[in-house]
Order: sequence, then structure tokens, then C-alpha cells
Amino acid sequence: MNPAPDTTTPAGGGGNFDPQQAAALLDQTTQQARRKLAPSPPWLLAARGVAVLAVLGAIWLTVRGQHPYKGPTGADLPILVAFVILNFTATVTVRKHAMTGVRGKTRFRPAEITILAASWAIVPVIMWALATAGASFAWYPTTILIIPGLAWAAVQGAREGWRGTAVGLMLAATGVAGAFAGPAGSWAVAGLGLCAVLLAQAAAVARRQHHTPA
Amino acid sequence: MNDGELDPLIHVPTRLKIVATLAALPDGDTLSFTRLQDLIGLTPGNLIIHLRKLEEADYISSEKTRNGTVSMTTVALTGHGRKALDAYTQALRDLLGGL
Repeated sequence: MNPAPDTTTPAGGGGNFDPQQAAALLDQTTQQARRKLAPSPPWLLAARGVAVLAVLGAIWLTVRGQHPYKGPTGADLPILVAFVILNFTATVTVRKHAMTGVRGKTRFRPAEITILAASWAIVPVIMWALATAGASFAWYPTTILIIPGLAWAAVQGAREGWRGTAVGLMLAATGVAGAFAGPAGSWAVAGLGLCAVLLAQAAAVARRQHHTPA
Repeated sequence: MNDGELDPLIHVPTRLKIVATLAALPDGDTLSFTRLQDLIGLTPGNLIIHLRKLEEADYISSEKTRNGTVSMTTVALTGHGRKALDAYTQALRDLLGGL
């Protein structure tokens, strides 16, 4: 390739553009674009991780002394519901803003959205079936994570998003681990597991965003 | 190695910003003209001039779609463009490493 010398020198022309300036501009632009186009920015993932640990940890503190186990108190449930709504709203809003004008692989296809929505919708059915079958862990909070975690791993695996696949498998693993922690302990496992997954994801995204090309 | 070995098509601040921004998207993803303009902070006329140069070299591809009265232009980095940016980045590394 031997392009003709550049004659377009409007604002942004390359008159005295030395390699050092070019390297700095390349790094700066790449990092800025990755930050602005990130559907799940590190700060949001980290904030969600800390919040989920705080909310589920607080519930664990209230249920760990229960003998027999009765579940979260009436005061805990509105906080949990508010957290779920806030978490969902923040995630969708930030993703929508980042994805403005972007088309292609980054966006979920309708079939993928259907699979992910169905994986959440089927959770109560699975929990009820497990309870009917006599599984002690049927109504543990961690049980909720297994099917959506596997669905996320499958969707990400199909699009060769290996980091996303790992996240989904870690969520499912948290769900399985919770089954062995008892009814009260499963709240702690859910909080710690989700927090660890979200913080690991935040660290991975931040690392990628700060990786300099030049 | 000298500056002459840096791809002159990319070695222009505005075009470097364009290709670097488009390279931040996964392979095959497209970005709307208006979002690209917003990310880079250029006037439409200026952006068009540079996009045309890059498209002539097959570094980017653009597509105009029409939905009723609204038309939208999307741009994407081609495989050729991605390779050119990789080569440019490597050339920069070699050049700066040799200083």
C-alpha cells in the first residue's frame, strides 16, 4: 500500500504530528472510546458488587440467629426489592446510553433476550418443583442464580464471549455452593459470591480499558 | 525507522481518532455517524471529509439506511482497516522503542 500524500488538512490535519504525539493520542482516544462505549463500566460493576454485599449481608445478619429459620424480616424485603429495581434500572440505563448508535454483535439479539428473560421467568417454577421434590435448598436465595447463570454462560459462549461465559458459570457455581450453606448461610454465600463476581468483572473491564495500544 | 513508515492515511490526528474509536468496537459492529461525531467532537463536514478518505482506502465501510423519512449513516472499521491500525500501532512502538 502506498497512499498518496495527505492533502486534507482541515482541523485535525497532520502537519507536525510527531510519533510521540500520535502514540499519546492513540492511547487517549482508545481509552476514551472503550470507556464511553462500555455497556457495563467498571464503576457500575463495582458499585453493584458493594451494594449487593451490603444488602444480602444485612439480611444474613438478621437471619443467622434464627432457630428455627424463618427467613428475612418484613423490614428486609422492601430493601431487597428496592435494591433489585435500582440495580436493574441503573444497569439498563447505563447500557442503553453506552449503546446509543452502536449496532451489531455488542447488542443482544431478540433470541438472546428471550433466552435470558425466560431463564429468570422459569426460576419460580424450578424452585417450586425442587420444593415439591423435597430439596432442602429449594427456596434458598442462591438457588435463584443457577438457571440464569447457566443461561448467561450459554448466551455468552455462543457469541464467544469467554469472559461472560466465566461470569455465568461463576454465578451458577455460587448457586450450587449456596445449597450446601444452609438457609441462613446461603444469604452470605449469595452476597459474597455475587460481590466477588461483580468485582472480578469490574477489574477485568478496567484492565482492558486501561490497556494502552501504543 | 522514520515517520515516513507510518501509514500517512492514519497518521493524521483526526483520522487516527476515527480509526481508534471504531477499533474500540468488536469486529463487525457499526457506529452511527452522529455518535461518532459526538465521540470525536468534529463538525459533520469535517468528519465526512476524513471518512471519505478512509473509505476510499477501504479502511472503513459506511452504510446509509432509510426508515421512513429518517435516514441514518453507520460506519465500521473493515478488516483491512483493523490490520492497518495494528500495523500503524506496531510501527509507532518500534519507532518510539528505538528512540
